[in-house]
Amino acid sequence: MQLTSRRHFLGLVGLGAAAVSLSACSAGAPTSNSSTSGSAGGSSTATLKVGFAAIPQSLDFTTTAGAAIIQALVGNVYEGLVQLADDGSIKPLLAKSWKISDDGLSYDFTLQEGVTFHNGTTFDAEVVKFSLERIPKWTANTPGNLAAIDHVDVVSASEAKVVLKQADFSALFWLAGPLGAMFDKGAISALSTKPVGTGPFTFGSYARNSKMILDRNDSYWGTKALVRTAEFDYFADATAAANALRSGGVDALYQAEALDQVASFQSDSRFEVTKGTTQGVVVMSMNTMKGLFSNPKLRQAVMYGVDRKAVLAAAASGYGTVLGGPAVPTDPYFVDYADKYPFDAAKAKQLVAESGVTDLNVNFTVPVRPYAQAVAQVAQQQLNAIGFTVKLVPQEFPAVWLDKTLTQHQFDLTVTNHVEPRSVTNYANPKYYWSYDNAAVQKLFADAAAAKDDAAFVDDTKKAVAQIVTDAPGNWLYNPPNIVITRKGVSGFSKNYMGVGINLAGVSAS
Amino acid sequence: MAVNLLRRIGIFILTAFVASILVFLLLSVVPGDPARAQLGTDASQAEVDALQQRLGLNRPVPLRYLLWLGGLLHGDLGTSFVTRQSVTPEVMNALQVSLLLVVAGMLVAVIIAIPLGTMSAMRQGRADGVVLSALSQIGISIPNFLMALLLVVVLAVRWGVAPASGWVAPAISPGGFLAHLILPALALGIVRGAILSRYTRSAVLDIQRDDFMRTARAKGLTSGRALWRHGLRNALIPVVTVTGVEFSGLLVGAVVIETVFVIPGLGSLLLQSVANRDMAEVQAVVMVIVFMVLLINLLVDLAYTIIDPRLRSAR
Repeated sequence: MQLTSRRHFLGLVGLGAAAVSLSACSAGAPTSNSSTSGSAGGSSTATLKVGFAAIPQSLDFTTTAGAAIIQALVGNVYEGLVQLADDGSIKPLLAKSWKISDDGLSYDFTLQEGVTFHNGTTFDAEVVKFSLERIPKWTANTPGNLAAIDHVDVVSASEAKVVLKQADFSALFWLAGPLGAMFDKGAISALSTKPVGTGPFTFGSYARNSKMILDRNDSYWGTKALVRTAEFDYFADATAAANALRSGGVDALYQAEALDQVASFQSDSRFEVTKGTTQGVVVMSMNTMKGLFSNPKLRQAVMYGVDRKAVLAAAASGYGTVLGGPAVPTDPYFVDYADKYPFDAAKAKQLVAESGVTDLNVNFTVPVRPYAQAVAQVAQQQLNAIGFTVKLVPQEFPAVWLDKTLTQHQFDLTVTNHVEPRSVTNYANPKYYWSYDNAAVQKLFADAAAAKDDAAFVDDTKKAVAQIVTDAPGNWLYNPPNIVITRKGVSGFSKNYMGVGINLAGVSAS
Repeated sequence: MAVNLLRRIGIFILTAFVASILVFLLLSVVPGDPARAQLGTDASQAEVDALQQRLGLNRPVPLRYLLWLGGLLHGDLGTSFVTRQSVTPEVMNALQVSLLLVVAGMLVAVIIAIPLGTMSAMRQGRADGVVLSALSQIGISIPNFLMALLLVVVLAVRWGVAPASGWVAPAISPGGFLAHLILPALALGIVRGAILSRYTRSAVLDIQRDDFMRTARAKGLTSGRALWRHGLRNALIPVVTVTGVEFSGLLVGAVVIETVFVIPGLGSLLLQSVANRDMAEVQAVVMVIVFMVLLINLLVDLAYTIIDPRLRSAR
C-alpha cells in the first residue's frame, strides 16, 4: 500500500516536473523587464510602460487591419515623408520640404540626408519609390486612399517626385499615416515578425496578446527618444488595465477604457488625467437602401428621437463629445451639428406618423462590445417610446458583424465606432454598408479632392457634410474621448489621438 | 496488465481522433468570415475572395480536415490565418505558461486542502470544526474569477504586495516569475483547495473508523498521533487520485484566470484568436487543451491501476 501510494505521488510530481522543465527550455517568450519599471530617475535609462486596450494581431499593417499595430509602430519604428501634428496640420519628417505643382499632379519632396534604417540601409529616393509604389499590394488599412499615386520618379538620391493620376488634396494627409511609411526592400519579407524602419525606436520583441518592447534607436537622425525602453502592455480587460496602473505595473494608460474609473484617478494625487479627442465616430447607421429606413421621415424620427447626451452618459460615462454630424472636432471641416436635430420625442412621434409606414419593426444589429450594447439599450428604449418596435440582435465583433452587417447588409439599424481618420469619405461610396447614394455629395467629395488649397478643400467638404447631415443616413452620436492617465512624473503624451501612431519618443518618465 | 494498458491507450487514441473531428467541424461552421475579419471594414469583395483562396478556405471541408490531421500527426499545429506563421511555437509557449500556472495552483490547493480537511475531520462536531467546514463551503461557492478580482483589489491595488497582472518567464527572472505567479496561483488554488478539503475530510473520517486505527489508538496513541503515524497516508490515496482528476478542471479554470491577470497562456491565446477568427489557432489551442485533458486522465487511470491491485487483475 505504501509503495503504490508513493508511486502514484511520484507520477504526479513527475507531471509537474515535466511542466516546469518544459518552461525552462521555453523558446524565450519575451517577458517584462520589471527591474527598471518606472523607478529609474528621469534619466535616459528609464523604461516607459504604457497600457493599451487594442491588441495587435500581426506586426504587418500592410496585410492586417486594426488600429493597434499602427499605434505602436508608426512614428516609433516606421516613419513617413510627413507627419501629422496634434492640431491636424502636416509637418515635415523624412522630407525636409515639398512643393506641389499647380495642377496638383506632382509632389517634389526634398529628403533628409544621413538617415539610415535600423538594419543600416540608407534612406534615399529609391526607398520612397519602392515604398509608395508598393501601396497597391497592400491588402489592409485602406490602400485605396492613395490610389491616386501613379508612380514615383527618382530625381536624385535626395529628391523624389511623386506623380499622381488625378489631383488628390488629401494625399499629404494619407502620406502622414501608415500608408506613407517607408520600408526597406530587404526587410519586406519579414514584415510580420521583424519591423525595420528609420524611427526613434527599434523593434525589440512582441509576445502576442501580451506586450511589445521597443528600444531607443541611439543612432536616430533626429531628436532621440527620452526613454531607453518603451513597453506596450496589452490588456483585453479595462479593469485589469486600471488595476495595473494603480499597483505600479504600468506607468500610463493610453485611451483608457475603464471610463467609470476616470473620476477616481482624477481625485487621486498620484495620477494625472488628460482628456482629448479621437478620430472615432460612434454612429447609429441606418440601411437607406431597403427596409423602413429608406423612408427619410423615419430617419429624421431617429435623429430627433434619440437623446445623444443620454447615450454618451450611458456608453462613455459622459466623457467624449456629442456629435450630430460625421466629422470629428480635429477635422479641418468640422462644424458642430449637435443642435441640428435636438432631442424631441414629440416631433419624432409626429414624423413617424407622417411617414405612413405601419410596419415599424426594426432589426438593430449590435456588435458585442460594451459601448455598442450601452448605446443600443438607450436607443431601443427611446425608439420604442416614439412608436418603433426595436429588436436587438447581438453580433460578435468583428467577425460576425463584418460578415452579416457590413458585407451582407442584413440590418435596419446598427451601431459602430468608425475609428479610421476622415471616415466621412465613406459617404461617397454607395456600396458601403449604409448604402447612402447622393450624386451631389459624391461630386462635392470629388471637387474637394481636386482642390488647389485648404480653403477650397474645406469648403467643399463642409458642403458635403451639410448635405449628409440633412439626408441623415446615420445618427452620429459621439466622438469617444482620448483619455490618458499617467502616474505623476510621466509626461509628453499627445492629448488628441489623430488616428496614426502614438509617438512615444517625446514621452519622459521619472 | 499489458492488455489493460493497451486498452487504455487505444481508448485514448480513439477519443483524441473523434475530438479532432468535432473540433474541426464545429469551428468550420462558426459564423463570421476569417478573411473579412482580417481585412477590416474597407476591403473589397475581390480582396476578401483572394485572401480566402490564399488561406485555403475555398477547399472542401474534408480535404482541409485531412491536411490538418496530417500536420497534427507530424507535430505541426497549423499556420495562423493572421500572421501566416506556424502557430506551433506560440501554442507551445502558451501551453508551458498554462501548465506552470496549473501546477502552482494545484500546489496551493494541496497546501490548503490537506491541513484544512484533516483538521475539520478531527474536530468534527466541535465548534472550530464547523467553522473550518463552513470556510471550505464558502471557498467552493466563490467562482474563480471573483476570487481573482478580490485578490487583485486587496493584495495588489490596496496593499501592493504583488503585481496585479503580467507574466515573467522563470528563465528571465526567477524572482519576477514568483511575484507574478502568486496571485493567479492563489486565485486558482483557493477554490480547488476548498473542494479538495472536502474529499480530505471525508477520507480522514472514513479511515478513523478502520480497525487498524482503532488498534493504534488502543496501543495508547492519541487520536492525533494515530492519524499522523498510520492514518494520513492511507487517507490520502483517494485524495491523490482526485487531485489528478482536478488537474483537468484547473486547466480549464486557468483560461479565465489568465484573462483577469493578463497572462499569455492558452486561455488568453484562445480568447484573442476567437475574436480574430484565426481558426487555425483556435483549432490548435482547443486541440492542445483536449489532448492535455485526455493525457492527464490517461495517466490518472494508469496510476489508479497501479495503486489498486483489484483493478490490475480486472480485464
